[in-house]
Amino acid sequence: MLFPAALGLGLPLGIGLAAIGSGIGIGFLGKGAMEAMGRQPEILPKLQVAMIIGFGFAEALTIYAFVTMFFLQGRIG
Amino acid sequence: MDQARPGRDILDRALRASWIAALALAAAVAPGRPLDAAAILAGQLLAFLHFIFLRKIVKLFTEGGRDPRLALAIGAKVVLVYGGLAGLITLGGVRYVPLCVGFALPFLTLFLKSIMLALGAGPASLTARRATETARSFGNAAKPAVFLLLLGAATLLAFSALPGAALADEAAHGAPAAQEATAAHGDATHHAEEGAAELPNWLVILHDFNPGNPLVSWLEKNQVIVFAWIAGLLFLLVSWLAMRKPKMVPGPFQNGVEWMVESMEEVCGGLLGPQIDKHFPLIGALFFYILTINMLGIIPGMKSATSSLDLTLALALITFLYVQFWGIRNLGILGYLDHLAGSPRDAIGWAMLPVMLPVHILGELAKPVSLSCRLFGNIFGEDTLIVVFVGATALLIKASLVALAVPPMAGITALFMMLQTLTSIVQALIFSLLATVYLYMMLPHEAHAHEEAHETH
Repeated sequence: MLFPAALGLGLPLGIGLAAIGSGIGIGFLGKGAMEAMGRQPEILPKLQVAMIIGFGFAEALTIYAFVTMFFLQGRIG
Repeated sequence: MDQARPGRDILDRALRASWIAALALAAAVAPGRPLDAAAILAGQLLAFLHFIFLRKIVKLFTEGGRDPRLALAIGAKVVLVYGGLAGLITLGGVRYVPLCVGFALPFLTLFLKSIMLALGAGPASLTARRATETARSFGNAAKPAVFLLLLGAATLLAFSALPGAALADEAAHGAPAAQEATAAHGDATHHAEEGAAELPNWLVILHDFNPGNPLVSWLEKNQVIVFAWIAGLLFLLVSWLAMRKPKMVPGPFQNGVEWMVESMEEVCGGLLGPQIDKHFPLIGALFFYILTINMLGIIPGMKSATSSLDLTLALALITFLYVQFWGIRNLGILGYLDHLAGSPRDAIGWAMLPVMLPVHILGELAKPVSLSCRLFGNIFGEDTLIVVFVGATALLIKASLVALAVPPMAGITALFMMLQTLTSIVQALIFSLLATVYLYMMLPHEAHAHEEAHETH
């Protein structure tokens, strides 16, 4: 397979796969946070901070794929 | 004491500000034209001397009497300032423009300070601060932090001017054909890299209208730094306006700013504990600086400078160096190495040392990379998303489907701009919160063992 063609197929696919992983991670985080909030509404501020940090870590994985796409985008040709 | 000598206070402040401006200017032009930088500094020095002697003369004169020092001061001023100016001009090699710029800087700052005074920002209100403790310490500490950030941007600017100057020299000496080829090539790569995925900002538009102007093209090439400077100045302006006349019972503006600063400190303090007081200046400055930069991109014709990896990497490196510095400072060299080795306490720990040490070092090095890529990717991605929708609207307009295209497309773009607002806030928050977390990992845990200290390890 030609390198540009492989890139053209692989880059969107890679972002999609990364997004699946991030989505699962963020979904679990949100689920846990919501349940905890429902049980103990008084720890809301602390929980929110931890949740946002977790979101940041989970989301970073998709962003890496995204940045990789931008670096390689020009070589699709 | 403020009422006693209001003029002197203003003069001191204006002179200090003019020194900062002159040093920044000189640093900006130094790599290309060191002589001009020296001329700016010389002009600044002469004007500074002028004001110092003028103050002395006025003081001696108003105190009355025929003090022999009066004549001495006048003589020294004439010889030093005017003689210096005349000498520099006749010296040759020194260009007038930078010299005049340097000489005009203190006058300009004094003029601006006087306008501020007339508008109500008196020196008494500048010095007698009675804000809540948090806001005051933040206001005082954020200024050097922002100044450092601005200085970093200036250094970046100076360095980015270097290859441009080298290229220009090369082009000037080379054959015209080669020169054209380089220019065309540079143009093409430039547009391929940036032009495709960004909405034009006012610098690009300015560049399109004045393609030959060297200043405009230079600004357009360094637009990231220009926008970072705009954001930094905005940040300084807002913090100055809010803390200009701090009151015990704050007005709406001061109250809003204090609320933002305090809630941010609360969020970070929940992680870091009482040590937050020491580290909040940098973390808070990072948060508000990044927030300002991100929000700048929403204004049409502006650009968020964080959509360039250069700026986010610089911010992440500042964070990284700060965290490592405090790690070494708090743990000591040995404790720091112990931390990097994964704190081996038993035989298994020591046996795992050759594995754990590289892993921990790599983990430390990955932090700035992930910090910078996250911020860059998010902001750049949001910008690209909006560009795609605007581009689609433009395509439909080209196909004369205006009535069909514009209303829904404008709605979608507006929706994504709201999303961009959210992303701006969340990303600034994540950047500063992660900086706090990295700092928390480095600080000794005995200090707040009552909290979930073992969670991060």
